Amino acid sequence: MASYDALRHLTIGQYIPTGSLIHRLDPRAKLVALACLIAAGVVAGKYSNALLLLLLTIMLVKLSRLSLRSMLASLAPVMPVLLIMASLQLLFYGGVTRSGGPNRLLVDWGPLHISTASVRVIIVTWARFATLFLLITLLTSTTTASALTRGLEGVLRPLNIIRVPGHEIAMVGAIALRFLPILGEQLEAILQAQASRGVSETRQSRWRFLANTRRMAQMVVPLFVDAYHRAEELILAMQARCYHGGRGRTYLVVSTPRVSDYLTVLVGVSLVALAGVLQYSILP
Amino acid sequence: MSSTLIHVARLHYTYDLNTDAPIEALRGIDLQIKRGEYLAIVGHNGSGKSTLAKCLNGLLLPTPDQVGGDVWVEGRNTAQPEALLDIRATVGMVFQNADNQIIASVVEEEVAFGPENLGVPREELRQRVDQALRDTGLWELRERNPRTLSAGQKARLAIASILAMRPACLVLDESTAMLDPLSRREILALVRQLHEGRQVLPHYMINEQQNLSSGLTIVMITHHMDEVLGADRVLVLEQGRIVLEGTPREVFAQPERLKALGLALPPAAAIAWRLRQCGAPLQENILTSEELIQAVTASVGVRP
Amino acid sequence: MSEEIVSVQGLHHTYLPGTPLATIALRGTDLLVRRGEIAALIGPSGAGKSTLVHFLNGLLRPGARGQVIVFGQDTGAPECDLAALRQRVGLVFQYPHQQLFERYVGDDVAYGPRQLGLAREEVRERVRWAMDVAGLDFESFVDRHTFSLSGGEMRRAALAGVLAMRPELLVLDEATTGLDPRGRSEVHALLHHLREEAGMTILIVSNDMDEVAEQADQVTVLHEGRTALAGEVHKVFAQRELLHRYGVVCPVAADIIYDLGERGLPVASGAITVAEAGEAIWQAMMP
Repeated sequence: MASYDALRHLTIGQYIPTGSLIHRLDPRAKLVALACLIAAGVVAGKYSNALLLLLLTIMLVKLSRLSLRSMLASLAPVMPVLLIMASLQLLFYGGVTRSGGPNRLLVDWGPLHISTASVRVIIVTWARFATLFLLITLLTSTTTASALTRGLEGVLRPLNIIRVPGHEIAMVGAIALRFLPILGEQLEAILQAQASRGVSETRQSRWRFLANTRRMAQMVVPLFVDAYHRAEELILAMQARCYHGGRGRTYLVVSTPRVSDYLTVLVGVSLVALAGVLQYSILP
Repeated sequence: MSSTLIHVARLHYTYDLNTDAPIEALRGIDLQIKRGEYLAIVGHNGSGKSTLAKCLNGLLLPTPDQVGGDVWVEGRNTAQPEALLDIRATVGMVFQNADNQIIASVVEEEVAFGPENLGVPREELRQRVDQALRDTGLWELRERNPRTLSAGQKARLAIASILAMRPACLVLDESTAMLDPLSRREILALVRQLHEGRQVLPHYMINEQQNLSSGLTIVMITHHMDEVLGADRVLVLEQGRIVLEGTPREVFAQPERLKALGLALPPAAAIAWRLRQCGAPLQENILTSEELIQAVTASVGVRP
Repeated sequence: MSEEIVSVQGLHHTYLPGTPLATIALRGTDLLVRRGEIAALIGPSGAGKSTLVHFLNGLLRPGARGQVIVFGQDTGAPECDLAALRQRVGLVFQYPHQQLFERYVGDDVAYGPRQLGLAREEVRERVRWAMDVAGLDFESFVDRHTFSLSGGEMRRAALAGVLAMRPELLVLDEATTGLDPRGRSEVHALLHHLREEAGMTILIVSNDMDEVAEQADQVTVLHEGRTALAGEVHKVFAQRELLHRYGVVCPVAADIIYDLGERGLPVASGAITVAEAGEAIWQAMMP
């Protein structure tokens, strides 16, 4: 953990303008397409559809002219969790898979079962995770917080009939996104301050739960207090600017849907269908 | 139209009123802020100045007690909920930490937030945003992400966001406290410009049909004494009360009193005071560097 | 000439190297701090002051270019004892709430000494001393909840927490920014007390030139990641043209003396504080 630089790395939530096609899409279309792709990801349980989706997602990232490498680099902090999950699945999953399909046992020794099914589960899980991560990062990097708010609000507007506060939900989301990097910086400063007073930097072994919990509390409590104070100040600032929810608000930027937006939604829906078809086909 | 923009009467405010450790932040403030005035409110941390600022636009409401206590903005009481939107559009407030005021991830959308909330029609929104950006020198940066701005630029953004609401008054609650010296000077220059309502800002004169100064009314909350020098009037707060009031010259004429109140003289005034202690024949109430230099050179009879 | 306790030479540092967000923070910085002095580090924002300071207690370690030697230890060497370094170099950050994390004030201040493995009595003694020096009454504050303190009290608690480790070098990163004049003079009095009574060397990072002129013995000016000027405080502030180019304002008192000199007053140059300026002007005014 010697490199505190890593925490500034949070590319999730940071809008990076490159003027690409994806940037120019209506945010509502992007949100609907995202939902479709996520649904497709949930359905996809086989090599064919999971890897296809991942490939398509990577193509979208390329299309947006963003750096695939730096996006993947922010996955680094989560790697340990993935590795643990993967090892557990590899070693113990061996049983029957939901979708059936060929399943050859490779190792069978006491409690350990390693089979082709478990290998597939791991690869598919990673592919889905990577797809999900890249899609969300893609969305937040190509859409400004305000555009996201508008998009979410637009998508939730039909639900106003059943009293769902679409605008307020969208606002909460936008502010959370805006403050994520700031809290990241705060956490970095907190860790530096604590290290300066002799708080141990080396990661405790996985099994020392109590020490680890304490360490987490040491990091989380000051961060939470900081976030709370910021929230209080932000509330005052928003009130000072006459914020009173979604009623009677106008918007500087209004997007009217174009052909590209309708196409995007169409593509999204088709992909869900395709994923479903592949799932129940005989392809691996 | 009345020349009094904000009227504060018998204002009391207590934090944590119903707990076992209530804090009386304001103990009876009476104040009238005139249109076009540049008012500085100073005091050490904890003297109540931030609390007072927040009462001016209804962010905090006077604690009800036997004595009463009201704040009126353009004749409307801040305790009336239906008046609050108008009041806050009239008395705009900029806080100390720019990061905690910025919501949007694009500069011009941030500036639009205020008028959007007021339901300003789209055409006018664009106009207001553009004008506010130009007035604060942020036009070139309008499409940037606020995170990429310097501290001084963020402070200007916070001001621009309020200007877009076309307020009559701008309250700055220690907005320069965290800035480096150069940024601080920039902001002060900007505030002075806004106060004087120069040629650059003609549209601010459209709203107010009055015959007084057509610039913005400024309320500057600060503990930096040099920021006080440009003010028309200074209020010194201590333990929730106004203990000293007058022009900067009048207030700075009492250095010992200020020191006891946890404040200091600006450097030029401090030097002048020392020289007079030594017996130098300088006039009283020297405030600025320029005044000191003139007084010293005149006294010695040196020609430039 | 007293001992050099900090010697930074030709230091380079880049944040997030090799990524699109890479920023060069330091491009060959030098810094020298001698025992017993109050040194100041100034420069426009973004010049690299905070980055440089993070090298002094090993939060950042020098890479290929540059050398950082603190108390005779090369912090870039793998065998450098970071824990020992962080005991000898106490770093106080700008925002106190980032430094506090224990539930009770007493525990928080005691954290450092406990980590050092000191005996319980010694720990208590240190906590008492540190809180006393920092201006927090031991009896009333030791059992208070850390996050229920006011801003000023938290600042003192954070300071006490660092002092309790009895550092030899105390580094304050913008510790007075945002403080009112009274708070500021408290900190200044504290610094002098620490230097006299506890023999500490002090390094302050500051934006306030008047403060630097009054408190510091020597000053280093950073500009765009390089050391632009360094030396005894009067000598540095005498170089007005250079300072303006580097985005540094001069103390107001120095500006006044300079302007008076320009207008023909036979005033000795070199005064940078209010007291010095008063003295110099008076000398020039007397017949």
